[in-house]
Amino acid sequence: MKKLLRAAAIAAAAALALTACGGGGAATDPSNVSPTGEIKPREISWLLSRPADGAVINIMKKLADDYAKEHPGFALNLITTPDRPSYIQKLETLAAANKLPELFDTDATPFAQQLAKQGKMVEADKLLKSLDLYDDYRPGALDYQRFDDGSLYMIPFQFELEFIWYNKALLQKAGVAVPQSLDDIPAMCTALRNAGITPIAIDGQDQWPLERYVAYQPFRAAGPDFVQKLKKGEAAFSDPAGQKTVQWMAELGKAKCFQEGFSAQGYSDAQNQFTSGQAAMYNIGTWELPSLATDKLNPDVRDDIDFFTLPTTSGSVTAANEFVSPSGIGMAVNSKTYDPLVSDFLKFALQKYPAEYAATGALSPTTTVETTVPANATPLYKKALETANTLGEKQAMPWDTQLDPTTNGRLQQELVLLVQGNITPEQFTKTMDDAIKQNAPKFFK
Amino acid sequence: MLPNRSRTSVLVFLLPPLLLYCAAVLFPILQSLVLSFFSWNGISDMEFVGLANYVRMLTADDIFWRSFFNALIYLAICLVLQLGGALVVASLLTSLSRGRELIKTLYLLPAVISTVAIAFLFVRIYSIDPVGLLNQLLHWVGLGSLERAWLSDVNTVLAAVSAPEGWRFTGLYMLIIYAALIAVPKELEEAAVLDGASKWTLFTKIRFPYIRPVWITTTIMATTYGLRGFDIPYLMTNGGPGQSSELLTTYMYKTAFTSTDFGYASTISVFIVIECLIAVGLILFMLKRKAD
Repeated sequence: MKKLLRAAAIAAAAALALTACGGGGAATDPSNVSPTGEIKPREISWLLSRPADGAVINIMKKLADDYAKEHPGFALNLITTPDRPSYIQKLETLAAANKLPELFDTDATPFAQQLAKQGKMVEADKLLKSLDLYDDYRPGALDYQRFDDGSLYMIPFQFELEFIWYNKALLQKAGVAVPQSLDDIPAMCTALRNAGITPIAIDGQDQWPLERYVAYQPFRAAGPDFVQKLKKGEAAFSDPAGQKTVQWMAELGKAKCFQEGFSAQGYSDAQNQFTSGQAAMYNIGTWELPSLATDKLNPDVRDDIDFFTLPTTSGSVTAANEFVSPSGIGMAVNSKTYDPLVSDFLKFALQKYPAEYAATGALSPTTTVETTVPANATPLYKKALETANTLGEKQAMPWDTQLDPTTNGRLQQELVLLVQGNITPEQFTKTMDDAIKQNAPKFFK
Repeated sequence: MLPNRSRTSVLVFLLPPLLLYCAAVLFPILQSLVLSFFSWNGISDMEFVGLANYVRMLTADDIFWRSFFNALIYLAICLVLQLGGALVVASLLTSLSRGRELIKTLYLLPAVISTVAIAFLFVRIYSIDPVGLLNQLLHWVGLGSLERAWLSDVNTVLAAVSAPEGWRFTGLYMLIIYAALIAVPKELEEAAVLDGASKWTLFTKIRFPYIRPVWITTTIMATTYGLRGFDIPYLMTNGGPGQSSELLTTYMYKTAFTSTDFGYASTISVFIVIECLIAVGLILFMLKRKAD
């Protein structure tokens, strides 16, 4: 029996060693963006995390079909996992097994940066320049996809602006005005609560919406660099900008800004609270324009809905026209499977994509096309689109794409406790600074 | 028994399932054991770290201990609901003369509903805004002061995620125990009743000793299922708020697939294996000793 066990242990170790060797397989040169040779049509795959029936997927399907007409044998296999946490797990597992498909979605996360460092992704800036498309893109859309060192490995397919939507009638009922400063919000919540109104509807289940709030104060007080330093342990929650956000989050909680039991409520629960006129404010991006700024919106609140952009604070280092303006999850190109076919298809698709995308009423990541306002839109739709033209240079990055995954998970958990009043700001600060100290070195060597 | 049973024929029949078992169960456990001595994030080179993962788990990880104790409470609630509930319902069923089949079916129903559906169902039941079933019931019976967001309150969330799991399998264990109870020889019970035994004595001295082997099996089943509980807490709260409903299993899953710390996640999984083995050992020890 002992012998058998030993043999099994050795077999297990050997199998592991073998897979580990397989994982390190060298990729082709990631900076070679124009591979030479014959275009041999085959099926390629895109692992993505976008709504199954959304504009991006529908358009890319159509473009792939068009391309296949000229190149018989070509097919684009779209494998989507819209639920982001599940998607990230899938991606990371495939990356560990060295089985990434030709194209895959990722944010500019520390994990993606490690993939890039290992040469597994094609350099996107060189790729776009070789296709003569680089200058078409909004600088902000590309910046959102960049890693901290400025390198670009992902191609954006969207451009979104995040606003705080509000219900004018409810604010009036509570006798409050649109906040001039972030610091006005807690008092505003108290007034709304006293009038029997839920101040802010939030999707607590998905955790990223609450994490947006923690990014706001430091972005105003210290600019976009704060989170980049924080994640590496060069800045801390105990710093002035960090303390400001910790205290502010605790105040939001104390003023009961979010609906009761928010941590167990989902995306549509939160949106329903806002669109049914129960909640006064709702923080969401332009991807929800079709439901918030068209005749699909509940007629009872349709005339009362408006939005404001992220308020500034006194002493703010970023301007009012600088806020969260993400270009969505980006598409990376696998350098190992990059060949004349993938290159040729991307050239075909990326040139035609912006016009098709803008026709659906969405903001294109490029400046070359004008977005079509849908026929059933309310005046708010146009106002939202026009805000994109006056954007400033800096943008607030969502923290969930910045922090290492372990710290990020801990932050999401601790934030709920802080806002619910289960822990004090001091406990929060200590827990999070310790978590960063422990986890950051592994990811940002 | 077969008349000409030879060693070879026994081996021939036992070997394929044994090999399958080794490939499907023992090999992954051994692989986890090996991985637990490494630091590996899936795409980096594997680095041998010796016992560092174990030291970190046992001495420096507050979430690990929190989830361990949460898992024990989760287990306790599941066992009380599943075994206690099953025993009570099964005993009552034996004294029922009509409608047994209907009640058995009704109790078994939750065991055949998909976990995801159960999780969503209970999220609605516990909800406060819009008011869910539980809070509405409390309101109607005049216990309005107890209304709360059950899944957001750090004091109630663990019990709230344990209850659906317990509720779900009560019917299954009830069925097993019921089958054992109706196998208790009627002569024994009648003799005891003639001797003047009360219902309680009848149960403790005759029925329960008679079903003890079945009880041991059900306890082991319920305990190991409880220790491996994952899906309902993961779907309902994802371990939150904070770590209030984090179990060892959900923590292990997050460590592996969110933090991509496969070495450390393997360390936790080795702990879960050992924990299950100890639990089974304890149950066998306690119940066997009582029987002797």
